[in-house]
Amino acid sequence: MRKLEVGYIDIHDIQFSNESKVENGVLFVDKEAIKKIVLEDENIKSCEVEIARPGESVRITPVKDVIEPRCKVEGQGGIFPGVISKVTTVGTGRTHALRGSAVVTTGKIVGFQEGIIDMTGEGAKYTPFSKTVNLVLVMNPIDGLKQHEHEYANRMAGLRVAAYLGELGKSVEPNEVVSYETYGVKEGMEKYPNLPRVGYVQMLQSQGLMHDTYVYGVDAKKIVPTIINPTEVMDGAILSGNCVSSCDKNPTYIHMNNPVVHDLFAQHGKTINFVGMIITNENVYLADKERSSNWTAELCEYLDLDGAIVSQEGFGNPDTDLIMNCKKISAKGIKTVIITDEYAGRDGTSQSLADADPSADAVVTGGNANELITLPKLDKVIGDLSPIDKIAGGFENNVLEDGTILVELQAITGATSEVGFNCLSAR
Amino acid sequence: MKPTFKIVTNNPLVVRELTGQYTVEFVDGTYHDVLVALRDQIHKGHRLYSHPLSGSVKPNETPYKSVLISIKPQSLDMDSVEMIENSIVTCDKFPVKFPHMPDSMREDFQVIDATLLKGALSQILFE
Repeated sequence: MRKLEVGYIDIHDIQFSNESKVENGVLFVDKEAIKKIVLEDENIKSCEVEIARPGESVRITPVKDVIEPRCKVEGQGGIFPGVISKVTTVGTGRTHALRGSAVVTTGKIVGFQEGIIDMTGEGAKYTPFSKTVNLVLVMNPIDGLKQHEHEYANRMAGLRVAAYLGELGKSVEPNEVVSYETYGVKEGMEKYPNLPRVGYVQMLQSQGLMHDTYVYGVDAKKIVPTIINPTEVMDGAILSGNCVSSCDKNPTYIHMNNPVVHDLFAQHGKTINFVGMIITNENVYLADKERSSNWTAELCEYLDLDGAIVSQEGFGNPDTDLIMNCKKISAKGIKTVIITDEYAGRDGTSQSLADADPSADAVVTGGNANELITLPKLDKVIGDLSPIDKIAGGFENNVLEDGTILVELQAITGATSEVGFNCLSAR
Repeated sequence: MKPTFKIVTNNPLVVRELTGQYTVEFVDGTYHDVLVALRDQIHKGHRLYSHPLSGSVKPNETPYKSVLISIKPQSLDMDSVEMIENSIVTCDKFPVKFPHMPDSMREDFQVIDATLLKGALSQILFE
């Protein structure tokens, strides 16, 4: 048996202070210490640090990543293995999380920009990160820095700051401790002989600049499908390097708190035997799609699964990977459910996916990313509002005279999350 | 070994950077025009090597598209036919977003398209 305990420390506010610490549910942050961590990278010229609280008239844009501060308390390895900590396998022992808080990175990497988090108003209803207290890093690169280096600098600074803040919770008594147990193949068979064997297939975005995901520091376009223990992701084994069309991309925060993983654990030993998790990629090269979907289906069969849940990341080209996975896993006699979102046009009447197959007969949707919503004018913008007509989901002249903004849902960070980390529902 | 694929693109950055190293076929037109040029060749037996809808920047939001296709026509590949036809349908769902695009933004879209293409090129071990 492998066990990870996660101690959740509830954070209800972040305040600047001359000492960084966690006390009575407040995360006190030494702003200068944060700046120093960010500016360790010589490619970052300057940095501002801001706080955005739920309910405040604040818009954060363009959002690059959202990260939950965590630290390892017991067990091997450290948080964000292969990137911030050594590459030791994680997912056992004890981890502390500063629940309710997040580090948000922002910066203008290319002309069209991604991601809006509104802390109040209509937009706040659609993003899960209007409910977290956010420490926002506004980073400015040195002149002439190329897009790739800029993206890297931005991504790494967010992780360094999240790891620093996470450490502040190391000796704090958590409000709740949840234990996640997984078993080897034989042990699980013996323990739950009568429960259906269910696995989770997570597809990772892996196409190129601002479309990448990292597994223990490895670019996911370079991996072949593999089995990962679902507790590993809670320690930051999977990291986001993608934010284009941010509604259905998984920021690092969502990887660490993946609802599919959590819901499967909630049923583990009761209605199902949660056998494990398979990660696969979504590459541009068609032979990669064939190889990865073949191999994913083989791994599902190898694990003797009765059922598989497949979550997609993104839209368009990944629809092909999704349908290939669904077809091939179903063909092995494994009941398959896919989780996706839709680009069904502003009126919702267009074909939702770019690919389809009769085997995709059990589909969960995160919502229609083309749906148009109106965001009110807010008092403060953290980041840069100027690219707002250029983000995916924005369009020319979408800022009206009274300051309200028309956007498609795809501009809102996490709005149509394909792992279900969102607020949309048909209820 | 000589590559068995070529690049069909309307992205001038790709033409500048990769001509000489690979066979590059320039389409002087829109995203839609690139897909149609691909479709015509696929109907003649060329085979798709990379996905025509790569990237999360939507068709017609980015004006640029670069796709890998086999140099030589073979027998008709139905998977390629289906993929390109579906891609054209999807592309036409998206209206052109920035009719008056500033040059700096144009360059950024070129860079993104080029990195997606290079991602596919880096994965080609044999063909």
